[in-house]
Amino acid sequence: MKIVIAGAGEVGTYLAKMLSDENQDIIVIDTDDQKLANLENYNLLTYHGSATSFETLKDVGVSDVDLFIAVTPYEARNILACTLAKSHGARKTVARIDNDRYLNKEQKAFFIQRGVDHLIYPEYLAAQEIINSIKRPWVRNWFEMVDGELIVVGVKLRSNSIFIGKRLREVSGITQYLYVAAIKRNRETIIPGGDDIIMENDIAFIATTRDHINDVAKACGKKQHNIHKIIVMGGSEIAEQLCKLVGDDYNIKIFEPDNNRCQELADLLPDCHIINGDARDSELITDEGIKDYDMFIALGDSSETNILGCLMAKENGIEKTVAQVETLQYFNEAEALNIGTIINKKLLASSRIFQLMLDSDPDNAKSLALTDAEVAELIVKEGSKVTRGDIRDLHLSRNMNIAGLVRDGKGQLVTGDTRLRSGDHVVVFSLSGSLSKIEKMFN
Amino acid sequence: MSRISFHSINHVMVLRVLGWLLLIESAFMVLPLLTSLYYEELAPSIAFGISTAATLVTGCLMTLGFKPFSQNATMRKREGLLLTTSIWIIFSIFGMLPYMLTGMSLTDSFFETISGFTTTGASVIDVDSTYRGILMWRALTQWIGGLGIILFTLAVLPMLNYKGGIALFNAEMTGITHERLRPRVSQTAKDLWMVYVVLTVLMVAMLAYPMGWFDAVCCSLTTVSTGGFSTRSEGFMYWHSTYIYAVVVLFMFLGGINFAMIYNVVRGKFKRLLNSDVFKWYSFIAFGVAVIVMVTHKTTDAGNSLYKRFIYSLYDTVSALSSTGATLVNNGERGDFLLTLLMLLMFFGGMAGSTSGGAKLDRLIVMLKNMKNELYRVLHPNAVTAVRIDGKSMSHLITSKIIAFLSIYVLVMLVVAIILSFMGMGLTESVFTSLSAISSVGITADNISFAALDDVAKWLLSFEMLVGRLELFTVLVIFTRSFWIKD
Repeated sequence: MKIVIAGAGEVGTYLAKMLSDENQDIIVIDTDDQKLANLENYNLLTYHGSATSFETLKDVGVSDVDLFIAVTPYEARNILACTLAKSHGARKTVARIDNDRYLNKEQKAFFIQRGVDHLIYPEYLAAQEIINSIKRPWVRNWFEMVDGELIVVGVKLRSNSIFIGKRLREVSGITQYLYVAAIKRNRETIIPGGDDIIMENDIAFIATTRDHINDVAKACGKKQHNIHKIIVMGGSEIAEQLCKLVGDDYNIKIFEPDNNRCQELADLLPDCHIINGDARDSELITDEGIKDYDMFIALGDSSETNILGCLMAKENGIEKTVAQVETLQYFNEAEALNIGTIINKKLLASSRIFQLMLDSDPDNAKSLALTDAEVAELIVKEGSKVTRGDIRDLHLSRNMNIAGLVRDGKGQLVTGDTRLRSGDHVVVFSLSGSLSKIEKMFN
Repeated sequence: MSRISFHSINHVMVLRVLGWLLLIESAFMVLPLLTSLYYEELAPSIAFGISTAATLVTGCLMTLGFKPFSQNATMRKREGLLLTTSIWIIFSIFGMLPYMLTGMSLTDSFFETISGFTTTGASVIDVDSTYRGILMWRALTQWIGGLGIILFTLAVLPMLNYKGGIALFNAEMTGITHERLRPRVSQTAKDLWMVYVVLTVLMVAMLAYPMGWFDAVCCSLTTVSTGGFSTRSEGFMYWHSTYIYAVVVLFMFLGGINFAMIYNVVRGKFKRLLNSDVFKWYSFIAFGVAVIVMVTHKTTDAGNSLYKRFIYSLYDTVSALSSTGATLVNNGERGDFLLTLLMLLMFFGGMAGSTSGGAKLDRLIVMLKNMKNELYRVLHPNAVTAVRIDGKSMSHLITSKIIAFLSIYVLVMLVVAIILSFMGMGLTESVFTSLSAISSVGITADNISFAALDDVAKWLLSFEMLVGRLELFTVLVIFTRSFWIKD
């Protein structure tokens, strides 16, 4: 698949590296040679030029491009670049935007008419992800497909879970309603087989159907406690999105050190409490009654500060914390420190784009962002390899796992005897770098 | 005492890829084997049979033997550099087997092989009395080495189509920046090889009638790769045909052009080539110097026809410029002026990204433009200047890397020349031979044979050829402390 990425910023660079490792043909366009130089050692082509120039687009051969991704820092430029690329013959285009005013359903047709097939607003995705963890605080990651018929949850297993020390084979013996699709242990994601043993402190990715989600929580030893009061550290755009979406359902208090931004937020979010101050100031947060809160969400600019903020909140007795960590290197450290849910805009944006590549409808699937693995929703095509036998006999690669499927609008789990049919929606877990193999199996 | 700790290098992966490459070499050896069988030459048939089998078995052992342990397939810079250098040496070690098995000494065989792979074309063989199978193998070594052993592998081995492949690509390709044509490195490699194959086939087609198939194939393989091995001791002079000379000039000239640019021309982008600064310089030097040669040197063979004399002069000039090293005149008869002029051409060679050797014209141009800037800055110390190639400015980092490259190039050349002169060679001869090896030209100042050299000199020149072909840094960095040891 030929993919052009306009803009070698954080998201563009991350996408380029990931997709290049996935064996795709990548061309990255940027006007800054220094940024392109960072990609020198990757298996891709860089092009120095502006994404909104006809000459550039012609030179990179945009006419036979399958996917055009515009992720420059400027929204208007991204939209224009997509329009130009589409008019030159790009098959599918996606632009990153930086506010929510274009996300309405009614405006979709307008943008498609102008050649922008999909809009990505990472802050909105991040807010969605946070809302998931507010609704289900016992879950670290939440992924649902086809209107929530099938659900994959990432759960940290403690000693009170019934799974600890059991082989996966035994687990499926006790509980027919769930399927362990992947395990994250010691910084590494494992696609397990029947003989692998589940250990304490593993993060298990469990697929289940909607009716059994409470049974899964019980089996994992988790209690569902409801969240009412939330502290948000940093009045960033994500915080703004979050409050717009669920501000009136919860009691949210935002700490923001910048006075002007506080004024702005107070205007925008009448339902929330805005506090002008730093959430790391222990006197201030004690005064503001941190002990009464159920959840702490750190959305500041610096990953380090967010992680530390969450640790402080934990010390103050808040059980559920969420941190925005943009530095990928800190991911594992943050997980080891038991920061509950970790939000990363890059990963969220790229997993959305990943869905686009697999030709499934990205608006239907909620994405699950992991550093070294991918979760994708695929639609089984007529006559593809996976339909030729029971799953047991397909000899699937050790790097992938089919977690479940939705057939005729009904979610079900997958066993060795399941036979896939065309039209099935399937959730696939795969380690990074094995996408092309998976694509082949399903097309 | 502090403990010495080494950088972790993925040796298993390096060995495995080496194994793969040996399998490819053994496939190449089948061609001379078939040639020997076709011409019913017994000794080389056996030699190539054994060599092919030995290479094949070693390759299999290395790929299969290491497979179970190679969990991690990462290749970074160190692995790329190590692999690139070692593959050129190991290819030569296995490539010399046919020579050894037909009765040559170890030193001569290795020298001949590495001279072939590096497209130097310095020969110790008496080509008139050797077998056709051997001649075919010599030609083939140059052809493989011309564009690069690893570049070929990148085109055919999917396992290298990842990040590691880029490290290899950068380590082997000549030139300042390593231009990529297409997003995946394997596609780039395929495109470059396609250009290469098409050029070779074209040349064979143009020469097959006047020269006969065997000679046409061998000579085309060595000319497009700008190597210069011939099937006759007189070289192309054997045929006494101006038509052949003209064809050879054409393909030597093409061999000295950046292959990425030829590819663009094939794709209909003529302007890229015509607007290229380096190409302008390349053409200007080739024709300009040819005129000087024509005026100052009365080539006896050419007679009085102006057209013939021009072709002859052009032949000599382009041969030196593209580092082919096929001459129509005895270098000893040229006179010092022309010899010095040709040395200058040999030093810089053709364009980066071509099959030619030398320090590359691109670097000469950057050096000269930088020199101009520095002179300007003497008068205007605060001036901000940029070196521009094709309208794009080069960063200071690249400029300083180029200056460093040229300094090291001269240094290596002089050190080898000094050692050669210590061993009893004359001043002109030692400098010329050393330059000839590092620039992969493969001629001597007085047309004396390389066979007459000392064994030590042959090994030294073999090393110098390798350093020159891989453009210094790739080989030399392996001998630095920081490559191996963490400080």
